This record gives sequence, C-alpha cells and structure tokens, in this order.
Amino acid sequence: MTKIIKRLFIAGVALSFVGCDKDFVDVNTNPYAVNAVDPALLFSGSQRTHLGTWAAESQIVQQFVVPYNTGANLGINFNEDIDGVSNPKWDQSYAGGANGNGAPIKNMMQALSLLSTTTNRPNLVNMIRIWKAQVFMGLVDEYGDVPYSEAGRGYIDKLFYPKYDDDAIIYDDIYKEIKEATAALSPTADYVAADLFYGINGHSTTKTANLATAAQVAKWKKLGYSLMLRLGMRYSKLNATKAQSIVAEAFAGGVMTSNADNAIIKYDGTVYTQGDNGALRNFSQFNYAGEPFVNQLKSTKDPRGKNILANFPNPGNVSATPNPDTVLANQFGAPVGVTDAQITAAGSPYRGTRSGGLNYSQINVWTVASPASADLYVTYAQTSLLLAEAAKRGWIPGGDAQAKIYYDNGVTADMQEYTIFPGTVPITNGEIAAYLADPAVAYNATDAIKLINIQYWIACIRNGGEAFANFRRSTYPSLSPNLFNNKLNNGFARRLSYPDVEASANPVNYKAAATAIGGDKLTSRVFWDIP
Amino acid sequence: MSMKVSLAFRPEVSRFYFLLIALFLTGFCYGQTVTGSVSDDNGKKLASVTVSVKGTRTATTTDAAGNFSINAPSNAVLLFSFVDFIEQQVPVNGRSSLTVSLVAADKSLHEVVVTALGIRKEARRLGYSATSVNTDELVKNRTTNVGESLEGRVAGLNITPPAAGAGASNQIRLRGQVGFSGADNSPLLVINGLPMDQNVRNAEGAGQQRDRGDNLANINPDDIESITVLKGATAAAIYGSRAARGAIIITTKSGQKNSGIGVDFTSSYTAQDPLNFLPEIAQTEYGQGQGGAKFTTQGQIQANGQFGWGAKLDNVPTINFDGVLRPYSAYPNQLDRFLQTGTNFTNTLGLSGGGPNGSFRASVSTSDAKGIVPSNEYKRRIFNIGVNQTIAKKLKLQVNVNYADEDYINPPPIGTQGDGAVNFFNRMPISVPLEAYKQSAINAAGAEFKTSGFLGTVNNPFYPLAKGQKYKDDRNRLLGTTTLRYDITDWLFAQGRFNYDRGTNFNESYTLNGTGAEVLTNNDGTYRGQYNIGQTTSTDINADFLVGANKKFGKFSADVSFGGNTLRTEFRQLTQSATNFSGPDLYSIGNGTVKTQNYNYNQTRTNSLYGIAEFGWNNLIFVNVTGRNDWFSVLNPAFNSKFYPSVSGSFVFSELLKNVPWLYYGKLRASWAQVGSINGVGPYDGVLTYNYNQSLFNNQSLASINGNNVPNPELSPFTVTEKEVGLELRLFKNKLLVDIAAFDKLTTDQILDVALSSASGFNNFKQNEASLKNQGFETLLEYKPIQTRTFSWTTSWNNAYLKTKVLDVGTPSGDRLLLYFNGTGNEFLGEIHYTEGLAMNQLYTKTYRRNTKGEIVVGNNGRILESTGGPLNTGYFPVGSSIPKFTGGWSNTFTYKNLSVGVHIDYKFGGTVLSSTLLNMTRQGHSKLSLRGREGGYIFPAVYESTGLPNTTAIQVTGNGLQTFWTDFRNLQVGDPFTFKSDFIKLRNVSVAYNFTGLVQKVGFMNFIKGLSLSASCRNVAIIHKDLPGLDPEAIQSSGDIRAGYENSSLPTTRNYNLTLSVKF
Repeated sequence: MTKIIKRLFIAGVALSFVGCDKDFVDVNTNPYAVNAVDPALLFSGSQRTHLGTWAAESQIVQQFVVPYNTGANLGINFNEDIDGVSNPKWDQSYAGGANGNGAPIKNMMQALSLLSTTTNRPNLVNMIRIWKAQVFMGLVDEYGDVPYSEAGRGYIDKLFYPKYDDDAIIYDDIYKEIKEATAALSPTADYVAADLFYGINGHSTTKTANLATAAQVAKWKKLGYSLMLRLGMRYSKLNATKAQSIVAEAFAGGVMTSNADNAIIKYDGTVYTQGDNGALRNFSQFNYAGEPFVNQLKSTKDPRGKNILANFPNPGNVSATPNPDTVLANQFGAPVGVTDAQITAAGSPYRGTRSGGLNYSQINVWTVASPASADLYVTYAQTSLLLAEAAKRGWIPGGDAQAKIYYDNGVTADMQEYTIFPGTVPITNGEIAAYLADPAVAYNATDAIKLINIQYWIACIRNGGEAFANFRRSTYPSLSPNLFNNKLNNGFARRLSYPDVEASANPVNYKAAATAIGGDKLTSRVFWDIP
Repeated sequence: MSMKVSLAFRPEVSRFYFLLIALFLTGFCYGQTVTGSVSDDNGKKLASVTVSVKGTRTATTTDAAGNFSINAPSNAVLLFSFVDFIEQQVPVNGRSSLTVSLVAADKSLHEVVVTALGIRKEARRLGYSATSVNTDELVKNRTTNVGESLEGRVAGLNITPPAAGAGASNQIRLRGQVGFSGADNSPLLVINGLPMDQNVRNAEGAGQQRDRGDNLANINPDDIESITVLKGATAAAIYGSRAARGAIIITTKSGQKNSGIGVDFTSSYTAQDPLNFLPEIAQTEYGQGQGGAKFTTQGQIQANGQFGWGAKLDNVPTINFDGVLRPYSAYPNQLDRFLQTGTNFTNTLGLSGGGPNGSFRASVSTSDAKGIVPSNEYKRRIFNIGVNQTIAKKLKLQVNVNYADEDYINPPPIGTQGDGAVNFFNRMPISVPLEAYKQSAINAAGAEFKTSGFLGTVNNPFYPLAKGQKYKDDRNRLLGTTTLRYDITDWLFAQGRFNYDRGTNFNESYTLNGTGAEVLTNNDGTYRGQYNIGQTTSTDINADFLVGANKKFGKFSADVSFGGNTLRTEFRQLTQSATNFSGPDLYSIGNGTVKTQNYNYNQTRTNSLYGIAEFGWNNLIFVNVTGRNDWFSVLNPAFNSKFYPSVSGSFVFSELLKNVPWLYYGKLRASWAQVGSINGVGPYDGVLTYNYNQSLFNNQSLASINGNNVPNPELSPFTVTEKEVGLELRLFKNKLLVDIAAFDKLTTDQILDVALSSASGFNNFKQNEASLKNQGFETLLEYKPIQTRTFSWTTSWNNAYLKTKVLDVGTPSGDRLLLYFNGTGNEFLGEIHYTEGLAMNQLYTKTYRRNTKGEIVVGNNGRILESTGGPLNTGYFPVGSSIPKFTGGWSNTFTYKNLSVGVHIDYKFGGTVLSSTLLNMTRQGHSKLSLRGREGGYIFPAVYESTGLPNTTAIQVTGNGLQTFWTDFRNLQVGDPFTFKSDFIKLRNVSVAYNFTGLVQKVGFMNFIKGLSLSASCRNVAIIHKDLPGLDPEAIQSSGDIRAGYENSSLPTTRNYNLTLSVKF
C-alpha cells in the first residue's frame, strides 16, 4: 500500500514540475480535419451562384404569383417587404450556402488568397475574377450599394463589418475586373479541370473537348465578354455613351456564338436538386404562373409554353401528376395582386378553385421547375438578344438587318436550349420558324426594343435576377404595376431590401448605405435604374 | 499522470472484492449471550440500532421493541450506533443484561455537509451557502427525473421541467443564468466525486425537436443518499473552470456500517393526467371555413382547412377534408382527447450490508414509463453498487458504480411546426372530429391525407401513428468511481480517485415517406423519407489526488489540502443517413440511393492543481482560502493556463452570546470567489478547415470553407466573480431557523458568437466579449411550531429574488438579437434580445402604433398599424424578461405517530412569456379572441391615424376581413394581445405516508420486516394563480436558453398521482 501512496505523491509532485500542458498541441489537433485544399475545388464549389427565387425576382416580373396571404407566403404579391423574401441573393452570395454549395464570395476570396503565392495558375485566378464579378454584379443589381471592397475578408483580414461601396463605383471595378481577367486568360497556361462549366465534368453540351486548355480559355473568354456585354447594356438608361463603348468593346472581344458556349449547370435531381424548385413541388397550392406571362405565351402560341406551363388536376398536389395538361390554349395565369380569398369568393370575376388549389396554371414541376432542372447563368440566347438591341441602337454594326439576325438567333437558341430541362418536348425547327413568323413576334424596326426585351424576359424564365434587372433597364415587357395596398407608390419593386440582421450586426455601415441609396426600401433605385 | 497511478489500483480492487465477499460469508460465534434494550433519552424504545462487539465483526440490531441479543465475551465493549444519535460504547463487565440510553445528536449544530471534492465539513465552518436537500421528500414526491422533484425546494435553485414527454430533461439554473445562450448555464453535477455537465439533450425548437433527457436521469432517486446544492461560485470554487454555474453534489448509497445484511424494495406507480387549459382560449362556436362560410368542396378544405373562420356551428352534415360529411358541430378538447394517461412503474431492489469495517449496497431498478403522447415511451434500467471498506489499517476504499440503460422511444416533437400533435390540434378547426383525422390519416397513395393547406407545416399526428413512426435513442452509461484514502496519521491523509464515465448512444430514426406530403415519391421516382442511424461514444476520465492535513494548536485549527486533477475526454460519433429509397416503407441504409456518412471525433484534456486551506480559531471564526490552476488543451498554448482563487469566512457569533436565551445559534458568513468557464470553446475551434462535398456534383468534387465561424485562436476562459454574504440564525430553542444570503455574481468576458455582417463571408466570430450580472437575495425560514412526541409540524419557506442585468454584449449597438420572427421557421411572434442595461433574455415585440396622445391608431381601413422607432429603431420594444424575479416554495410537513403528510406550494413571479399558440389560434380563427365581430363586424377600439377621430370601420368576417385583421398581428409583429406574465402559484405536491413498521412487527411471523411504508402523493395538484391563458405557464418546450419565454406548440403539463410501497427486510 505504501508503494501506491508513494506513487501518488510522486505523481502529484511530478505534475506540478513537468507542467500541465505537455502534449496539448497534439491533443488539440483534429486528425480528421481537411486543413488544406486545392483552390480549384473552392472555385468549382462556388460556381453554382444564386439566380433569383420564384418568390422574389420572378414574382416582381410577374412570371410567377403567390396569391395566398396566409402567413409564410406573404411577400411580393402583396407589396410587402419581407426579410426572408429579400435575403436569398445576399445570403447565398456572401456567407450562406444552399444545396451544399459553398458561399461563392467567401470561398472565391479564400481561393484567391491561397493562390496569391502560386502564380502558376493564372487561368484559375482569372476565371475566379470573372465569376466573382458576375456575383457582385448580381448583388448590385438587386440591392444597390453593397459591401464589395471589404467583402468576404472575414477570415483573411479579420474584416468583420465591411463598409458598403457605392454601386456605380462597384460597377466600374467589376468592368475593370472582367476586362483584365478576360484579356489575361491564356491558352498556354493552366487548365482548370474542376471548372463546372467547361471543365472535364462540365455539362455535356458545353464542356470542352479533349481537355484542351485552349478550348476552355476560348469558352471563358466568350463568357467574360458576354458578361461585359451584359454590364455595358445596364448603362443604357443612365449613360448611353458609356454603354456603347463597353458594348462595343465586349463585341469586339468575342461573345458567345452558340448554345455550346452557355455557362449552365444541370442538376441530377436526386443527389443535387435545384433548391428553389423544391417549394413549387412541396407547397404547390400556393404557387401559380403569372397572368401576364401566360398571356404573352398564349397570344403568340409560343412553343416554349408547353414546356413551362401546366394545368394540374389538383394544384395542391402536383407531384401526383407526372403528365399534366400542357396544352397552351388551356393555360390561365393567376392575376397579380389578388388574394386567394378574392379569387375564390362567390361571384368573383376570377377562376375560383380547382380541387385543393386555385383554378390556374402552374410552372411545371416536371420540367423547368423540376428538382432536376438547370441553372442558366449566361447563355447565347441572352447574349444574342442583347446584341440585337445593341445593333438596333447602333452601338455595334449592322443596324436593323443585323439586329433581326441576332434576334432570331437568340429566340432560336433559347428554344433549342429547352432540351436541358427534364420532361420537355424538343421544339422543332418548324415550330421555331412559325413562331418567328408570327406578326406579334417577328422582328420589326418600330417595336424592336420592345420585342427583343420581351424575348429576353421569356429567355430568363430560370434566371429571375437577370429578368428583374433587364425589366428595370429596358422597361419591357410593359407590365401593369401591382397596386395591392398601394405600398410601392403605384410602381414596381425596384430593388430588394438588405437583410434585417445587417441593421443590428453592421449598423453603422448599414445606416450609411441605406441613407446613400435613399432608404432601404423596395422602391429605392440602383444607380443605373434611373426613372 | 495521476490516472496512471489510479490504474495501478486495479488489481488491488479485485482483491478487495474477494475480501469483501469473504467478510459477509464468514460468521463469528463465541462467548456468552448479552441481552438488553435501547431507548432514547425520552425513554422511547429504539428499533434498528446497530449493536456490535468492538474490535470484532459480530453485530446485530435491535428489534421493534428495542431489544437485542448478542454473543460477547464478558470483557467486551459493545458499540451502539444509530442514525442521528451519538455513538455509545458500553463495557459488558460480565453483565448479561444491559439497558442503554442513546443521546440524540444535535444535528443542527454539528451538521455535516458534503462540500466540493466530496469533503465533509461541519456546516459552521462554511463561509458560503451549501444547502442539503431532504432526500426523503424527493422519494415521496418522486418524478422520473430526480431534477424535477427539486423544484421549489432550495432558495435560488430554479428548476423548470419542460413539458416534453417521458424522461425529459429539466432546466436547472442556480442563482440566475450565468451566461448568454450558447454557454452551458446549468450547474455542474458531481456524482460520487465525478464532475459532469448536465448535458441536456433538449428540444431547442429548430433542428432538434425532441427532448432526450439529461445526465440527472442516470441516477435512480432511490439510490441517492444525499444531495448538496453548492449555490455560489465560492462553494464550487475548487472546481475552477467548471464552477461558474454552481454545483449539485450527489452521493449515492453505499450502506451503513454495522448494519448487517438488509434488503430494501421500493415499488412505485405514477399516473400522469395531461392538464388541459385550452378551453380557456378555444372557441366552440364557429367551424371550419373562411369569410363566415363553410367550405363546400374537399378541395377548398385541402387548400384552406386550417381556418376556423367559417359559419356558426349548426350540426348539419358538412364535408370534411376526406370528402366525408360529418355534423358541423363543436368537437372540443381534441388535443386532450388525443393524449393519453402517462404512466411510470418503477421498482428498486437493494441489497445492503455492513460490518464494523465496511458496508455496501447494490441495487437494481427498472422504470417503465409511457408518455402522454401515444407511442412515447421511456425505459430505464439502473444498476448501482456502492462499497465502503477499510481494507487495511488506515486504508479505506470506496467504490461506486452506476450503470444506466435508457431507451427514449418516440419523444414527441414539440415547439416546432411540421410534425407534432400539439401543433396540429391547436391549429385545426373545432368542427372536424378527432375520429376523422384518425380514420382518414392515409390517402390512396399511402401518403398523408391532406387535411389543410398547411400540409408540411401542420401534419396529422395519426399518420405517423398509423404508419409506425420510429425514433429511438438507446443510451448506456457507466459511471465508475474508485477512491482510496490512506490516513497516514490521525492528522494527515492522502487520497486518490479514479473516475470513469463512458456513454454509448445509439440513435435510430426515420422520417416517413408520406409525412407532410400527398405522394410517396420524389420527382426522380425514388421514395421520399429519410433514415438515420448514429452511434456516439464518449469517454471521460477524471483522475485526482488529494493530500490533506488538519491539526489543532490550542484554540487554532488548520486544515490544508493539496490536490491535482486530470480530465480527459474523447468523443466519437458515426452517423449515416439514407434518402431517395428504392422501395417504399423500408427504412434502411441499404434501401437508400443517396447516403451520407459522417464521423466526428474530438478529444480534450484539462489538467489542474489546487489547494485548500482552512483556519479556525476557537470554533468561532473560520477562514477558508482556495486556489486552483487549470490548463486547457482546447486553448492556444500561449495562454492556456488560468488561476481561480476564492476566500470565505464564517463567524459563529453565538459563541460569544451564550447568555442570550433566545439565540440558539448564529453565524455570519462572507465569501468572494473568482471562477470561470471554458464553455463556448470547442476542440479544434481555432483553425480554419475545409469541407469536401460528400457526393460528387456531376462527377466533380467540390470544396468549401467549413462552417460559418471565423476561427479565433485567441480565446480564454470567461470569468465569474461572485461575492456573497449570509446570516444563519437558530432561535427559540432551535424552533426557528432563519437563513439569508445575498450575492452579486458578475460574468465577464463570456465567450460568445459575435454576429458578423454576413458580407464578411462569415456569420459569427467567437470572442471573449460579453458581460452580465446576476444579483440576488435568498431567504429560508423554517419553523417548528409543534413538536410533541406524537405530533409535529414543520413549516418552511424559501424564497429567492433575482435581478439580472446585461452589461456588455460586444456589439456596437449594445444589443444582441438571439431569436427573431421566422429565424428558424418556427417563430411567429417577437424577438429575444440581450440588451445592455436591461434584464437578461429580454423579449421584444412591436406594439400598437399610438399617436402623441397615447391613443392606439388604425389605418383608414380600420386595421392596426405597427409601432415604429423604439430603442433599436426597428419598431420593436422590450416587453419583459423571461427570467422570473421571484422563485420559491412553502413546504409543510405534519407527522402524527406513523402518519406524515406533506404539502408543498411553489411559485415564480416576474417573468414574461409570448404565446405563439394564442396568436396562431387567433389568426386561424380558433380562439375566443377571434370571435369578436363574427356577427356584425369588429370595430377595433382606436382612433384613425389620419384624423384622430374614433375608428368606425367595422371589419367583417366576409371577404376574409377578420382573418386579415388578425393575420396583421403576425405580419406586423404586434404582440400586445399575446404577451403575458409567466407567473404562477402552484399547489405542487400533497403527499401522505404511513409507516407500518411498528404494526407489522407486532405480528410475530412478520417481524423479519424491518420497515414498511406506503406513500401516496399528487404532483401539480392545482394552479392557484396564473396569467397565461390556455396553458400552464411552465409548459415550456425547451430546457435551453435560446427559446426562453417563447411559447410555441408546447405539450401540456401533467398532474401526477403516485403510490409508493417501500419495504425493508
């Protein structure tokens, strides 16, 4: 026994002399943690960026309507500024993540920070710069002034409360970034295999052949200049001269020329699903196609209609009907700014109920609103339509004649691209030709700007953010403002509001930004959106 | 290091077990027979007194008449020992018959309290509050989790049992809430010297919606020998970084010396009736529908069936969600009818024994409980062994082993939308009978029959019952403690202790393919649902040593100890889940086509050295100083060491006032301590790591930064500084006890997730930032008005006043938002903040907009408007803290001969609660509040904002006017009608116990029975006062802090009826 007591004493004394933290560094090292990573994987993890939601952007441009005012559904259709409706773009760009993808800004900033010491991957660096520019462009388009120069540096520089930069100044820097990065892409430098658009695992219609760096760089150059074209066009109301100069530069650089150039991502619908489409399936009774959008498709017998719209026997249970009625003539869109109570009230002028929902068409959850849908970031169709407007305006050569070609090419490309969505019926060349021949659709010099931008609106059915931006820029389609409760001064939502938590987490910068843009309201305007 | 030493004890331990067994198998028979009787100083005969022959192992006990008979040599010395009496030695001196009178020990003056590190001390030496709990009362008023029965018993110990199903956890707070949400605010539990966190596995309302108990549930109430509550930091100071929240010291039984072999058996049955307060708020006049009309089609109901804005009930057969016509009548109390009577059947069998050199007790107990929600069960098996043995001269061994096997089966989902009976029945109309939901739970596709447009967020609880929902948590936990103490001399001892705490937890659950959906399949054709399994193993090893000396030098006494401790924890968790099943209704990993696996691992180490020194003078003044240094593996090596000091003193002034007749005893005490907590710093927190997506995306691997926290490698433990003064008086021949204490507890540099602008790329940064203060005043009055030989009455009142204040939240705005509207999808009303200058857990809502005259204003449409401005310029105003200011209890014990009756009343005052239940019931047309203006319209009493003239706009039910009116409260976050006090006064317990021991022992053949008692008790007898309508204000859903004061879909509390039989042989 005394032996044990002795040991005990020795232990105690030893403890006090040896120090009590000898192996603590080892103990506190996680043997299973990923402590280092290939920055290219951070980049590919950031490529699936936010494209707008049905509830926010798509509803503002009246492609989509939520007529229910029962708690969680409240939002754009009733002109209410609801935090959760405005946040997704912000959250999913800066810090959050959806679908298991990383927050693009945070991860791209980290990738750039890791790459700064190893300059033997310039193409990766420049791809990140271009894509980062795309994300910030979307943020400015939706919020106005946003954190830019100090954003995404929480870990790198311990910058926790970034200031908001002026939206016009951010745009200038984005332009510079796209310009420099696109020019710097080199066919003789690194190949970025992990690139989700054009890398070895890119989508089949867009990936580059034979893992060739040159081919990938060519695609990215087209993507870069197409983004620059988009950016240039944003200035059309504000500063036509500047718009013209940037558009011309982009055009000269070489923009997308076919659907094979598209920057798109397809979901398998099982392991990875298009997150925003989930609500359309699981809470389907609340969600309908907007009347102006349906009427546009119907009035022109748009062959895309059958791939977008559907009449479900029970709008409350769309998932039970894989083959709904998609005949365009049978489709009716839900009225904007009208409550379900008004629609269902006895003697109402509306279409009332159908089974467990309203007697209106819905965006088809088996096609474009499927979990296996695709995200279309920048497409040849959009690009060609922008070129049409640029040509019409005389910012690039060719005038009306060339504008018509761009217009027809854009519409054709968009229709051909529908095969990327599941459950769609391929649109034939005959259908396309017939559509383009329709007097309400066919290019004419008088209505060119209107026609082009209506087509842009339709082509952005799965890119609400871009539809929203182009609607404000071009003022087309000519939609009627939603006057419910008249909370938006007889107009449209011109932006989305900052997250409420910014007001408490980053109050000084938040307040400065809110003041600078004329109040953190839906009716304030971003810099290029002058009345 | 001391761990290694302790391991070396192991072979020794097994040898001692052999010795122990041998001890009880061997008998000693020699000498003559000595008979006699034992009585107390009043002449009352004493039964069960241990009589032993000094220096031998011969022992017996007195019978019911106080008589004994024992073999002893004529020169032997007999030892008489009995609980609460002073041990007496009587030389036989050749006599064959003895009459012995034992003197009662004056417990009050020589009361010994178990303090930190298990050190037993005379109460008079303590300079801080340490309250012993009457464990008899806990057993009489038993609850499944022993924590619950502590409620209202100790001043400053605030216990709130969430209504969360069988085997649920408890919220335990000692002297307020020491940290903001995120810190562990429940006290340290020390079970037989093994320190552990309470580790609540509560329903926190978002990710986790099921309560799966806490560590206190591992202890069987019948095994508990003593509970001491160390309220303040000083009392717990020697636990250093774990002492911030106070401590509860529990010792389990290990038998009595010289008691012979005994068997104790306790059988207890409890029935639990849900308390239904919903009739206070639920309307029974209008049925399902909208705009004042019934629905006429099944489709309408499936779209909007959640609304009770229909027609006046007329008993006419009307279509229901399933297409069946049923009378349009009131079917009230649906939730209550859905719930069942909960039961708990507990049996404990104990075997104990003791000789002159040691004692042991071994017990096994089983508990089988059924919750009030159908399919909810809780099963518990506990094996407990305690051994005390003197194994050699001066060397003592103590071994305690507790093994608990618990099964949590289908704990009910609470506090959230989605699944859960409470959420469903409170939000569905009165006009559809319960039977309809039961009959038509499953649709033709095999999925949930859609009952309303809220399918997905309001789900029929009969569906999971019909399809066999499974959620099972199987926990096994072994707590083992071995202590070896060597008394080197009569003033010097050394002690080593090894604690082993190993828990394994197997969790299996699934989400049914058809829950909250009308089809079983996904778009890709696979079946919906999810299957999860997970296995967790945690091992805590805690080893310590202590060397102590105490010596008297004349009037001076000194008691000095020095010790060290190492705590090593290891955690391993393997989880798997599967979704997108190939076949229907088979929940397994193999059936899933999408699988995710995770392995989590961490280990930590904390090493400590500590010392205690106590100096006394003349039994009059005592001064106690402690110091402890902790080293933490989870901290940056550059500053991973922290020192925790304390000093306390007591002054027994009654020693100087012995001539004051009414003063029996008086003590003044004061203390100061600085303790801490490392809570908030996790292993590996300080390093940025990455994450690979588990599944390839289109064959491409993706990566991202792991988590949304910016790692901070420079954290240090936070500090709690507590000052305390107290006065203890025993007056009028010890009939009246007055014990008062005042404390001031300052928490500084709490480790907190500081909310960042998400534009930084991250949401949080852990920092040593926040500080807050708890101040309180505790009183205990105990009075024994009647003490006769046959009748006694003891009445005792404890009360605590608590004031909390947020001092610093670490944000520029001075405010920290904890939970907000729709923050997790389960928040309907208001926000919870920490605001500098205000009390902790501050609830905020918007309020009615008022004009400069203070009148409530409405818009021209007669609808309410929300407040603007406010302290944060968000329109939200603070409406009160969720933490009650006054807590306490009044208990009375009456004994008449063998009958004892206990009556316990407890109360809480000064807290605030927001009722989302009432809000949701109102906007959906189910509450009495929603009846206003159903006929003729509702003119809300207010003035027009535009004109200042009285509102004359009647809101009609038609056109969904009233529905919109009440929905505005949610959309605008106006909380006025839904903000209540959480105050209550409850008749908590009434118990009656009868001790039959005397009776049965008179019957000759039954005199082998040494004890027989029967007790009956009722818990939650009545709510004498409450403010919150429709619910028991204690019906909170979570024992955590994040949803404090935030009522939503809470399960009703229960009234428990208990019958307990206890037998000793």
